[in-house]
Amino acid sequence: MQKLMGVATAVLLTTTLVACSDDASGGRSGGNVDEVTIGALHPLTGSLAGVGTMMSNAAKMAVHDLNEDGGIECLDGAQLRLETGDSKGTASTGQSEAQRLIDNGAVALVGTYQSDVTQNVAAVAERSGVPLVIDVAVDDAILEQGYQNTFRIQPDATSMGTDGGQALFEIAQQNGQPIDRVSYIHLEGAFGQSVFDAFAAEAKSAGVEVSETTYSPTNFTDATTVVRQAAAKNPDVILVTGYYPDSLLIAQAVHQLNPEIDALYGIANGAFDNTSFPADAGNAATGVLSANYHFDATDERVQDIRQRFEEQYGQPMETAAVLTYQAAVVIEQALEDACTDAPAEVRDAIAAAKIEDPLLAFDGPIVFDETGQNKNATVIAMQVQNGQVEQVSPEQFKTSDIVYPVK
Amino acid sequence: MTPTAERLKSDIRAADDPRLRDNSTRNAFVVLGALAVVLAVLPLVANDRFETIAVQTLIFAIIAVGWNLMSGYGGLFSFGHAAFFGIGAYTDAYLVVEHGISPWIAMVVGAAIAALAGVGIASLCLRYELAGPYFALATFAFAQLFLLLVQNLDFLRRTEGFNLPILPEESFWMLQFERGSDIYVWIPAGLLLVGLAITILYVRSRAGQFVQAARDDEVAAASLGINVMRVRLGAVALSCGITSVAGTFYTQYHFFVGPHQAFGAAVSIEAIIPAVIGGIGTIWGPLVGALIVGPLAELIESVLRDPPGSLSFLQGVAGLDVAVYAALLIVIVLFMRKGIYGTLKDRWRK
Amino acid sequence: MSDHATAVSETSASEAIIRRAAPYRLPAGVVAAVVVGLVLTYTLGGRDPGLVTQSVVTGLLLGGVYALVSIGLTLIFGVLGVVNFGHGAMLSMSMFIVYWMTTSLGLPVYLATVVAVPLMMGFGMLVQRGLLNKLTLEGNHEGPLLVTLGLSLLIINVLLMIFGGRPLSVPSSVEGSLRVFGAIASYERMIAFGGALLVALLLTLALKKTSLGMSIRAVSANSQGAQLVGVNVGRIYALTFGIGSACVAVAGGLLAPFLSLTPTVGEEFTILAFVIVVLGGLGSVVGAMVGGVVIGLVQTVGALYLPGTGSLILVFAVFVLVLLFRPQGIFGANR
Repeated sequence: MQKLMGVATAVLLTTTLVACSDDASGGRSGGNVDEVTIGALHPLTGSLAGVGTMMSNAAKMAVHDLNEDGGIECLDGAQLRLETGDSKGTASTGQSEAQRLIDNGAVALVGTYQSDVTQNVAAVAERSGVPLVIDVAVDDAILEQGYQNTFRIQPDATSMGTDGGQALFEIAQQNGQPIDRVSYIHLEGAFGQSVFDAFAAEAKSAGVEVSETTYSPTNFTDATTVVRQAAAKNPDVILVTGYYPDSLLIAQAVHQLNPEIDALYGIANGAFDNTSFPADAGNAATGVLSANYHFDATDERVQDIRQRFEEQYGQPMETAAVLTYQAAVVIEQALEDACTDAPAEVRDAIAAAKIEDPLLAFDGPIVFDETGQNKNATVIAMQVQNGQVEQVSPEQFKTSDIVYPVK
Repeated sequence: MTPTAERLKSDIRAADDPRLRDNSTRNAFVVLGALAVVLAVLPLVANDRFETIAVQTLIFAIIAVGWNLMSGYGGLFSFGHAAFFGIGAYTDAYLVVEHGISPWIAMVVGAAIAALAGVGIASLCLRYELAGPYFALATFAFAQLFLLLVQNLDFLRRTEGFNLPILPEESFWMLQFERGSDIYVWIPAGLLLVGLAITILYVRSRAGQFVQAARDDEVAAASLGINVMRVRLGAVALSCGITSVAGTFYTQYHFFVGPHQAFGAAVSIEAIIPAVIGGIGTIWGPLVGALIVGPLAELIESVLRDPPGSLSFLQGVAGLDVAVYAALLIVIVLFMRKGIYGTLKDRWRK
Repeated sequence: MSDHATAVSETSASEAIIRRAAPYRLPAGVVAAVVVGLVLTYTLGGRDPGLVTQSVVTGLLLGGVYALVSIGLTLIFGVLGVVNFGHGAMLSMSMFIVYWMTTSLGLPVYLATVVAVPLMMGFGMLVQRGLLNKLTLEGNHEGPLLVTLGLSLLIINVLLMIFGGRPLSVPSSVEGSLRVFGAIASYERMIAFGGALLVALLLTLALKKTSLGMSIRAVSANSQGAQLVGVNVGRIYALTFGIGSACVAVAGGLLAPFLSLTPTVGEEFTILAFVIVVLGGLGSVVGAMVGGVVIGLVQTVGALYLPGTGSLILVFAVFVLVLLFRPQGIFGANR
């Protein structure tokens, strides 16, 4: 009996394995290319499904636009084909999806929004020799592994802390309200800590006193105590680094407690410059400042892309999605430069690329340093005014004048 | 063997009955041998895509085989096996990254630590007579505590996790091979076979018989002179050790491990699902369950990614694949009460 | 509920004697311990008193939220012995029902909540009748666990398919807050706290006074015995699950105004709700209320000293201690 069961098991095993090993249509050809595959990997299910789906849609739209525009001219107008993957927000699924995308012929990957998933996917990319262009994933550690195939368009956590601090002190100085003391609320973990540490170093050199309050994003449903703690230090400004739901709660608690501060200021904050923040937070949003990487709202191409995106997908296109779009453009440019679809050469072309006129409000063209970080990535300052997120600093990206101090 | 058990040897002749023991053990090993052949050959004939699914399925299977020893045969329903998986994963990451020690050594060390931790937790719970859902919740709480602790310990890099260094060339000693290498399938396959062999031997051993007796009727077992606590802790140690080995391999295969990959509640659930789907308290149940659950999500996803013509409107609907998977899970549990293997086995007998 | 019965019967005889002698000693002790802890925090804690007051007020209100979520769970867990993993997902589901009614039908939030209650109750009864009854009547433990787990995945992903994953918010009808001893308490959270008290009160009364409540308690204490005296156990199970789900609907409606709604929002509460249920005692509504407040206070006041995940470590440490030393929970003895 047991033997029969064993045979049954073996048969089952074989059929299951064969069933799921249907042949992949991989195989990159050297000579005539009429289609080039790129892979986009984002969390399409799970708690980050909202933003992940938006980014995946942005990749679709980018590929569509680039194909409309004549495809890759150097490869006789070869069309781009997008293969999307769902990381489900977990690192192991991210890895297997990345492998699937590569096995299906992707010559470059775009992704993945989460730092831990990106760490995994970066390792896959490195071992497969396929370039990964990170649209969003903030941890410094990702590019500290010495990987040759990983590139990042957005600024990392540390540079955002530094640049965000500089921008704040400048704004305060210009408006005649110099800062002596700030309270900084940030979430626990590598992201929040790196941003804070960089800011604290910047503040120290500017002679500003900093007090730190941390919270955990899990089970965080009430921000009153945290804000009260921060406000108890009598700061001139309260700073916040966190994700969307927790930052929203913090903004509301600040509004309720109404401490005597010049401003509420986010650095690398997931909520304060999000298009749904003004409506979700209501009065609490008014005047909130945010230093973050952001799409360039003054650029007409960006306005056009965002408008079409909203028409097609029925939701506003946030910065994360613009970055995905940008990543696709970087890859297309590299394919054009390399004039081949061999991943190794595409990688070299990305490393050497110089993308003028980025869609993001950066200091200059997109150029990657030897670790793969975009050298010109930086933050700009934004403020919620009249229920809108406006760009207020620096001068060249301004859509509105800053109000400071806020009260 | 304890003196008490030695004395009872004659009382429990049934376990030594040659008609019962020899046949089933031998048969089980025959099946195991056939399985070994299949697992050895498959990577050679299958394509690249096969590797990732196969490895994930095999990791699933090892965890489930480990869980089954404690919860299926031992009757101690663990809802916190992430703790032991995580210990294996982090021991490996820590020793390899910080000290350059071979993963094979880390595997043994991790298994030992996990076994110790398991025995510690279980003896605490058993001493205070936690049973059923209470025991499950206690193990769950310990897994959560481990997760929170790791996130607060500097030497384990808090929330950042560990990246394994990528070596310039393959090394068996450092358990690193080229991506897509067949060895990545053979190693977890080998570990799974060892886990199954341990299960087969353990279940027929005196300790294994005792622990099942204690599961079925604790009072009767104790009155026969079985040291219930001791045999249960034995099962727990084996179970946690095997689960930890899966964690070690996870880190080696994925090159990155963070707190949630290692200690997240999802891992504890992943330990239970294959075993229950396949049939708990059976040798082959966890394996059968893993073979179904492992590729199932992938299979549904690939069908929905490129749906047949009439269903094309479903393409690209986020969440649909997981929803279908969930519905199938419910159906399997409802209609195969003893798990797939358990139900089929019963039917066969009739 | 065979397992609960075993757990209780396994507790030592001495404990049983203590329980009989002083059924209210432990609850009183817990309350006293909380009060002493707070006094110590004020006098020796070395923190600004205003800040401590704020964390106490926040903790109490947060405790109300936790209690509201846990009441339904404790009923289901206590009576059916089902570890309902779909609880968090059902909480999300109620919030999205309320969201849909406020945005599409223009109902005020709290009216929408009232409408959501019978809907969720029906859904709960359907789940129990259609999916769980056979398994629970057999006394199977792994089955319901997996079915509710599958149900949770199913609900979350269907919500994802309908509403997408972007955070949504329910338009609030009563913004603003009250100052209590210098501390801030928002009206929405105070309403949620009041709702928790009301639900706890009504449920306790219903369990004590109505014939349905008697049947539920009978089934909970001894399902076989109840069956022998003519109680339709399957029906009681379905009704209990329905009532538990109705409580979830109330929780969802009262929480929706101050949370960002995503399909996974309810999951956040599941783990803590289990902690609270065990702490309060399986099936004890009052226990869930007290447990919720204790955990809320431990989390917020603890966060003054151990920020971030530190206070969660504290919560789980409390949980483990309770499991080991008093698995029947604070109010378990009253049953």
